[in-house]
Formats: sequence, C-alpha cells, structure tokens
Amino acid sequence: MVLQGDKGGQMNSGPLLFLGLFAAMVCSWLGFIMGPQLQIGNLPQTNTVVVGDALSQTYPVALSGEAHQGEEVYRANGCAACHTQMVRPRDMGPDISHGWGIRRSVAEDYLFEQPVLLGSQRVGPDLSNYGRRSDINGILMRLYDPRSIVPDSIMPSYRFLFQTRKIEGAPASDALVLPEKDAPEPGYEIIPRPQARALAAYLLNLRQDGYLYEAPPPALPKTNAPPKTNAVAATAVKK
Amino acid sequence: MSATAFPARTASKNPPESSVSGPGVWCSVGLLYLLGAASFWLLISLGLGFLDSLKFHAPGLLAADSFWTYGRVHAAAGSALLYGFGVQAALGMGLWMLCRLGRTALAAPAVVVLGTFFWNFAVTVGVIAILCGNNTGFENFEMPAVCAPTLFVSYAMIGICGLLTFHERREGPLYPSQWFIVGSLFWFPWIFSTAAILLLYMPVHGVLQAAIAWWYGHNLNMVFLGFAGLASTFYFIPKLLGRPLHSRQLAALAFWTLAVFGSWGGIPDGAPLPSWIASIGVVGTVLMAIPLLAIADNFYHTARHDLNTLDDNATLRFTYVGLLFLFIAVAQQIVGALPNVSAITSLSWFGVAQKELFHLGFFAMTVFGAMYYIVPRLVGAGPDAWCPKLAKSHFYLSLAGILISYLSLLVAGIEQGIMLADPGYSFVQVLHGTLMPLRISTLGDLLFLVGTIAFLVNCAQVVGTQCCQWCCKAIKEAK
Repeated sequence: MVLQGDKGGQMNSGPLLFLGLFAAMVCSWLGFIMGPQLQIGNLPQTNTVVVGDALSQTYPVALSGEAHQGEEVYRANGCAACHTQMVRPRDMGPDISHGWGIRRSVAEDYLFEQPVLLGSQRVGPDLSNYGRRSDINGILMRLYDPRSIVPDSIMPSYRFLFQTRKIEGAPASDALVLPEKDAPEPGYEIIPRPQARALAAYLLNLRQDGYLYEAPPPALPKTNAPPKTNAVAATAVKK
Repeated sequence: MSATAFPARTASKNPPESSVSGPGVWCSVGLLYLLGAASFWLLISLGLGFLDSLKFHAPGLLAADSFWTYGRVHAAAGSALLYGFGVQAALGMGLWMLCRLGRTALAAPAVVVLGTFFWNFAVTVGVIAILCGNNTGFENFEMPAVCAPTLFVSYAMIGICGLLTFHERREGPLYPSQWFIVGSLFWFPWIFSTAAILLLYMPVHGVLQAAIAWWYGHNLNMVFLGFAGLASTFYFIPKLLGRPLHSRQLAALAFWTLAVFGSWGGIPDGAPLPSWIASIGVVGTVLMAIPLLAIADNFYHTARHDLNTLDDNATLRFTYVGLLFLFIAVAQQIVGALPNVSAITSLSWFGVAQKELFHLGFFAMTVFGAMYYIVPRLVGAGPDAWCPKLAKSHFYLSLAGILISYLSLLVAGIEQGIMLADPGYSFVQVLHGTLMPLRISTLGDLLFLVGTIAFLVNCAQVVGTQCCQWCCKAIKEAK
C-alpha cells in the first residue's frame, strides 16, 4: 500500500475533509437532536393510570408562580451540581430501592420545567420526589444549617437565603426554631427571605407520583388472596 | 504497510522552522494572547476548583455569601476551564500548527487579536455572571444567553483566520494534525450554535433540553477537545522523535471514527428519555475503542524504539503523559458505558474522575507540552529559554496532582456506586464512605495548581526576558 504521505494520496483535499466532517456532524445531529425531537418534542399532558379507586388525573400540572421562582433559585445556586432529578428504572440502578421514587422518571415528568435540571452527579441524594418525603420546616432548617438535621452532611449552608432580624413586638410566626448552636443572639430571630420560601415551594412541588402508561405501577405479586381494596372494604363492613 | 508519512517534514531532523522566516509580530502577539489567556483561565479555574474542593473539608467555608456557594463556584470553574482554557488553548495550538504545517504566515493576525479580546471579554462576563447567579443550569454550557452571540462571533473571527491560513498553505499534502485542527475548528461552532439556539433562544420542550445539553457536553469534550489535543500529539511525537508517523491510514481511521462515534453518547443509561437514545449512545461510546486502539497502535509503532529515551524534553514528556491519560480516560468511559457497569457507576464520582483525567490529564498536559515548544519560538527565544528546574517541577507536580486527584475520585466513585447498590446503606453512610477519598483529591488539586503556577512563572520569565531584550534593542537603535 502506498497510500500514505505521497502527494495525491488520500485525504489531502480541504473541501472533502469539510464534507466528511459535515456528514459526521449531520449523523450525530439527526440521531441525537432531530430524532428525539420528532418523537417526544411535542408531548402533551396526559392522564394518570387508574390505580385502585383513585381517579385519573391530568399529569403533570404546571408549577405555581412561587414554585417557578423557586426553580430559578435552584438553578442560580447550582443545586444540580450535586442533586439529580431522575429516578432510573429498577434494573438500571438502585434509585427506587433507596426510596427516591416509586417508579422510574419518564419524559412526561419534565413538561413544565424550564430549564430542565436533571443534573449528572449525586453528591447528595436524588430530589425527583423530594416533595413526597419532606415538609417546609425541614427544608428551611436544612437550607439554613444542613448539619442541624444530618450531623455529617457536607451540603453547604445557604444562610444568604435567610435574614437575621431584631424581634419587634411578638416573634415572627415563620422564624426558624434552631438548636442552641445555631440560635441567634437573644432578641433576634432568623426568618427566611422570599427566595428561601420560593425554593421550599419548588422542592415541595417535586413529586413524580402519577403512574403513567410508560411508567405503570409495579406488578402485584401473584397471589390468590382477595385484592387489597376489597379486604379493606370487608373490614369496614364488619365494623 | 509503508511508513512514509511526510518524511520530508515531520520526520526531518531539520524542523520546518529553519526553512521559514520567524513569525511576524502580529502573529506572535495573536498566538501569545490566545495561549497566555488560556493559561490565565486555567489558573482561575484551578483556583476555583480548589476552593470548591475545600468545601468538602469545611462545608461552612464562605457560606454566608451567595457569590461563593458551591454550586456557583463549581459552574464557574467548569466554564473557565472549558471556554477560558480549553477553547483558547485549542485555537492557539491549532493556528500555530496550521502556520507551521502549511509553511505560511497566520492570515489576518490582527483579527485574531481582536477575536481573542472579545472572546475573553465574553468569558469574563460569563464567569462573573455565573458567580452572581446567572447560569443557564446546563452543565458544560453554563454561561448566560447574553454571552453566546459574542462567543460565537469572536470564535468565528479566530476560526476564519485559521481556515484562511489553512487555505493559503504552501504545502499541498495534508498531515494528520491538519485534519484534526480543521475538525476542531468546525466542530465547535456547529455544536455551540445548536446548543445556544435550542437551549437558550428557542428552548425545546421538556426533557429534550437535558438530552441536548448532554450531547453538547459530550461533543465538546470528546470531539472538540479530543481533536485539538490529538492534533498536537500527532505533531509533536513524530517531530521530536525525528521519526515518521507509523501509519497515515491508522491516523485517518482514528480521525473519522472519532468524528463519528465520539459525537454519539453522553446520555446516561436510565435517563428519562426513549431508551434507544441512550442505547445508541452506549454503542457509540463502546465503538470509541476503534479510534483509541488505532491511536495507541500508531504511536506505539512510531515511538517504540525511543521509549527508553524519555529524555529531558519537556514537550515530549508532557505529550506522552497526555496520550497515556487520554487512553485511560477513554477506556474508562467505554467501560463505564457498559450497562452492567453503568448501573453502578453512572451519576457517581466515577464520571467526575474520568472528566478530570480527560481535561487535566490529557488536554491540559498536551497543551503544556505544546506550549513548552511554541512559546519560545513565538518570542524568538531559544528552546533553552525555560528554567529547567521550574519545568521539571511543573511536570512532576502536575503528574502527581492529576494522579492523586484522579485515583482518589475513582476510588470514591466506585465506592459510592457499590455502596449505593446495596439498599442496606443509607445515603449518609455512603457519603461517609466517599468523604476520605474526596478529601485526598484536594491535595491533588493543590499540586496541579502549584505546578501550573510554576509553569506560568516560567512562561512570564521567558516572555519577559525576550521583551526586555527587544526594548533595550529598540532604545539603542533610537539613540
């Protein structure tokens, strides 16, 4: 083979080089940008699958104004650097067994997110369903001093989302109730700023709990026992 | 297989610079500006990264100020590394090699200077904006929408000068480095404009945003930085060894397969997308074994007779180490993409370790190597202008830094993955398990940072001495 190096050999033409590169780019673009766009680019809202006697609901619903502001706080402070928002299916990771979700995440879950903050690394736990396992006081305490809840946490504290204020008259109803080491000087109180409240509203809103056609409820174990709903009804009748 | 790839040029014992006149003043200024600014941003990025790493020791550090919170500093460090350092270093090395390989002067060097100025302006605005809380939220693409047009236009200014230089080449046949440089010159604007339009200006709907951001990040790292770094590897190893490249065909195979398969992937298995997308990503990533083996074989056969002469040449040493780390980083990516492995390692520190090795171990080391060769020639100094002690300490500090950092992150990642796979451990226990390696990685970050400072001091000394000489000469002539 005498194809290398000699003049007139292969790959010595600028335009052909350009065309080849462009073709490679187009392949990648069609596969990873255009294809997914055609398939799920215009997903509509959907209805949840009926489980038991629950009613089918429209899913997902748009974020409230405050939760949307909270998403901006989440984005601005780079929360996604440490927290993902995606639950992988049972056979592709231990997410469900850690209680981060009841089903895998699917494209429908993110219809109203702007921007979509899936994250790519778990320094902290996944937050897809954080709203299902938290309450506003817990969230605010964690934001102010994560180590007051989990002593070994390495989460940064977000004290700039809070304000230390002199108590005038009665203490504010939303002042944080802190352990002694974090407590402000006597006569002062710590209250969440609007950003902290918005962020808490957003986090409480994080719940991927509607069963969908793509993400159905887990199959019930095969058994001859009567369905659970009937069993509950039967005990109610007995009473 | 005959091995005659450019014997006249790359294999020559007489390097081509002897046959062309020295670079013009503007050409030198433009390329020094690009490379100097790149080094400066690398320092900023490493400094920010070190600060972030310290937060694993003291989570309360600088916590009162939103400006220095972990998430923002993390994004700022990443942007400074990719756009401040990565793109500018790629352009600086690329334009220089295009001049050398084409035996021509840099086209429109004043435009390069202007483009570099605007690029740095946009990156500065972007990094400060991120620290102020204006990031886009997309990894590898954090700088706010307001920076994107300036970045695009200033890149185009520099890139078009590069293409004009390529077009005006006086040497007909192309050397593999030229393919890689032209590839990187085109790749960036294609992916950057796609990401800017579909993520910032006309954002796509829902989870596709995440898919596009992953695709962009993967292309930016694997193809753009891969092409740019490999151009330098293909240039310097044969040149400094004084041997022809083993096989031009293997280089071509590596080039095309890297362009095709390197641009597939980046989407984690189990992501909330149709599963075929992640699957073709896995296929693409696994097929990266082809360019990887082609490159490894090519350089093994090029350099096998000289492996016992790993001499004091800083360029050669850095380039070798960079190539070795490229091999490890891509191999790790291939292993991590396999479904059984990714169930454990995906979304853990494993990926962070891989990225760190690719960025600092491969790309930065290769750039250092290239700069040890390029900078003295740009200012008209001899190759012995470097302080050898500083250069040596730079090499060992960087090497130790990247090894400590990479290995500890890798251990943290594997540990995290294995412990998480066992539902018996709570997340806090998992965290505890990874904390020690994470803290050790801080030491690696520090060593790499100190090494880079040694490099910058050395650079300043080379450029400064030469400038002094010019000034003295100019004053004498004026008298």
